Amino acid sequence: MAEADTQKSLNGLLNGIAQAAYYRNSEITEELLKSELYGELPQDEFHALYEKMKGLLKSIASADMDQNQLEAFLTAQTKKQGSGGVSAEQAAALSRFWKGHRSRVRDSLVAQSRWEPGLKGLNWRVDLKTSSNSGDASNTPVALVELELDRPGETSEIMCLEFDEPGVNQVLKKMAEVQEAIDSIVHHS
Amino acid sequence: MSSAHVKPLGGAAAGNVSFLAGRIPPAIEIMSKYMKDLDKELFRKILKVVVTAIEGTDCCDALGTIAESCDVPEEKLSSVVAGMHELLRVALRLPPSTLKQEGFREDLRELRISEEYISDFVSVVFGSRREALDIVASQQGPQLPHMDDFTWRVDVAISTSCLGRALQPSILTQIQLSDGTRSHFQVSVPKFQELRYNVALILKEMNDLEKRGVLKIQD
Repeated sequence: MAEADTQKSLNGLLNGIAQAAYYRNSEITEELLKSELYGELPQDEFHALYEKMKGLLKSIASADMDQNQLEAFLTAQTKKQGSGGVSAEQAAALSRFWKGHRSRVRDSLVAQSRWEPGLKGLNWRVDLKTSSNSGDASNTPVALVELELDRPGETSEIMCLEFDEPGVNQVLKKMAEVQEAIDSIVHHS
Repeated sequence: MSSAHVKPLGGAAAGNVSFLAGRIPPAIEIMSKYMKDLDKELFRKILKVVVTAIEGTDCCDALGTIAESCDVPEEKLSSVVAGMHELLRVALRLPPSTLKQEGFREDLRELRISEEYISDFVSVVFGSRREALDIVASQQGPQLPHMDDFTWRVDVAISTSCLGRALQPSILTQIQLSDGTRSHFQVSVPKFQELRYNVALILKEMNDLEKRGVLKIQD
């Protein structure tokens, strides 16, 4: 029972640290985690545990360790003597946590080093132009495109565009070029 | 019946003037009245200026020069210019498939415009410049900004402050719009695939639409 509780608390701690450090959830603070999970533990001991786990997670995340690397890393850590070492329980908790969170944490870290607005959404509609005050009732199709651009920390911006068919064709050709450029990198690395 | 030749303009005659949609605009009616004693040379000059105006060029100076060089009263001159502008604008609004050359000639005869002037009007509406005039017209209608330029760059982040080996490709795009705004944004690879798929889908929809004869609204 006591062991299960320790595991639960450790899990909660790791999740809490990830929320604050990687998922931009500023409501989860060290104080909150202490009062919710480790009420009994003296403050300085909790702080040491918190910092240790945070440091370990940071090392694991910044190297984006795969399962083998993680096992090797944790084995090395458990062999360490003294307060810097990791207990078998902690190693197990870290291993379990990382299995479930690796890709999310990585995505979040990639996003954290992005400062340009990013493309978030796309809406489009194809209309048939039939008549207007200036004539040109040539029944040409026209594409109306809405791009949603997401600026970090700001409300997203909507960009509206109109395309005729040659315009769409041209964009598509450029996109094929972009794809080629991506493929050349991905295949060579 | 001889009275058919002296049918008053507007009213009864209007029913026959097809391209004016059953009602002769006052500007055209006044023009046709003044055009009877207009010098042919002067008419050609005015026509040229009016066509340039329809093409979207400011022509105040050109008109001023014409007004100075001839002895036609200003009021009469401006009525003729306004009428010609209106007549061409209305005629150019209709696609050539709707307004046939012969019908147009007939309409102008109804307005009692003399044959030599009619030929000049016809050459504007049905001549070689028509295509250019249509392109200008299509750009004058209400429309959203369109894309003037689309430039891109593929970046691969090697290492960042929080990730030792990121190696994540992303596309930085810059779009220049016709309203002068320039926008740049980053597109992740999965988003790019989504975008590319959608652009291809748009093109397909547009092509399908053109193939589907049912949707073509015929006159």
